[in-house]
Amino acid sequence: MSARWTPIALWAALLLFPIAVSTTDSAAFYQDVGANLILAAIAASAWNIVGGYAGQVSVGHAIFFGAGAYVPLVIYNLWPALPPLVGLPLGVVVAVLIAAGIGVPSFRLQGHYFSMATIAVAELVRLVVSNWDLLGAAIGIQGPATPRGWWDLIFRSSVPYYYIFLGVLALTLAITSGMERSRFGYYLRAIRAGERAARRLGVPVRRTQLKALMLSAAHTATAGSLYAFKLGFVNPESGLGILVSVQMIIVAALGGAGTLYGPLIGALILIPLQSATNTWFGGGGSGLTFILYGGIIVILARFEPGGLLELWRRLSARVARAA
Amino acid sequence: MLLETQDVSKAFGGFVALAEASLAVEAGEIVGLIGPNGAGKSTFFNCIAGDLAPSGGRIRFDGVDVTEEPPEARALRGIGRTFQVPATFEDMSILENVMVGAFLRHSQARDARTKAVEVLRLTGLEAQARQPARTLGTPGRKRLEIARVLATEPKLLLLDEALAGLTPAEIQSAIALVRKIHALGITIVIVEHIMEVILTLTARVLVFNQGRTIAQGRPQEVVSDPKVIEAYLGHQHGARGRRRR
Repeated sequence: MSARWTPIALWAALLLFPIAVSTTDSAAFYQDVGANLILAAIAASAWNIVGGYAGQVSVGHAIFFGAGAYVPLVIYNLWPALPPLVGLPLGVVVAVLIAAGIGVPSFRLQGHYFSMATIAVAELVRLVVSNWDLLGAAIGIQGPATPRGWWDLIFRSSVPYYYIFLGVLALTLAITSGMERSRFGYYLRAIRAGERAARRLGVPVRRTQLKALMLSAAHTATAGSLYAFKLGFVNPESGLGILVSVQMIIVAALGGAGTLYGPLIGALILIPLQSATNTWFGGGGSGLTFILYGGIIVILARFEPGGLLELWRRLSARVARAA
Repeated sequence: MLLETQDVSKAFGGFVALAEASLAVEAGEIVGLIGPNGAGKSTFFNCIAGDLAPSGGRIRFDGVDVTEEPPEARALRGIGRTFQVPATFEDMSILENVMVGAFLRHSQARDARTKAVEVLRLTGLEAQARQPARTLGTPGRKRLEIARVLATEPKLLLLDEALAGLTPAEIQSAIALVRKIHALGITIVIVEHIMEVILTLTARVLVFNQGRTIAQGRPQEVVSDPKVIEAYLGHQHGARGRRRR
């Protein structure tokens, strides 16, 4: 019974959050953190499809995020009459094509080797973009400064972003949930559990993994586009830096990789924590973020590789047994 | 002829694990493969199922040359195999493990579940269907291994020591299970060390030693073949066996 009501309570809380904090002194700050939190949850949920369900730990998802963030802004800079919004589907297409290009050769690599290959490709892309004038090179690229209509998606308040992001998150999780219960989802879990046995049962391993990477890339690119709409600016560090990939991994792993709600739970904890450290320690916070990430990796790897949801499941099972 | 292998060989570097194995299996047969450890039985299975590419020879299944096909394509054609050490999907439930197999011929989750439940009933695992697979002991895992492959609806089932490590009572019920599977019209090739299993189930056996087929025929005849006794017990014992007769 409680298992059914928990998600409903969670979604209700998420829907009410911007309204609930609107009377506080720092309403704008809380709402902004809220929007960033939902965005991080979208990106981590997208990563989760390939890193969690398929068990292929990509550390190169910044490429897809970057494709989603860059394409709308590049389109705007080339043809200013067009709203950046038209770049979203194009960014998704670019990301999916890149995923196909990366997936075919790199799925031959197993485990850590796959992860290392994805880091290498992502860093290569970051370096190329840093030297590409059309993409703003090292300085970055900007969107429209003032809104020309609602379709430019420029709002002074974070609240509209919050609700747009929440809608996209709901869509991403609905698709993931459908995947979980379909043949595709079963095949991904079987491949993660034992590739050789899966192949013997007729699972087309490479094709399934490639499909997962392409689906994951499409959702990650969507997150990247939303980021670009909200910030109106992207540079090689914020769009393609390794921290972008690492954040998706940590958020998903903290909550529970390979579970539907794990990434959202991870974002609910990590993003407020990150905003708090950045506020307390000022602009020098990005170095602290690395320390925070490092600490979380060590603690998760040592004590609870399954993440918080797994810990919760174990604890509640223990309580149920004791009762 | 359902399965036909012609001179199938496999060498790992200079080591010949399997030399020119030829086997023809008619639809509806149960054929046994026996031989001491390292004789090449599992290598032969791996070549038939597509886990290993043979260094030489051809494999035909159901009239088609499948020598170059990957394992998933052969599974679709109807070649199913179990592993000696069950490769259970630990984090999935027993039902979900079997559903992975059932999805091969049923793309909808509902149909795959129906098929999986049917197979679980046949293999006697339905009571535990919802349990995580990691809770199973050895006999349960062996059954699950068979159940998953059965859910792919194979025409040919390759059982690789599916009964090893079971107690005598469990072996009896496993033999009954293999009979039930055979009664469904599935052709079976079985690798087994337990002679009782081979003698009760099979009408024909092939004996492997050091990668070669050294004898074949009816199981009762084959086990008294001096060459076979020698392969299992060494030269002197083989000679003694001959004297005693």
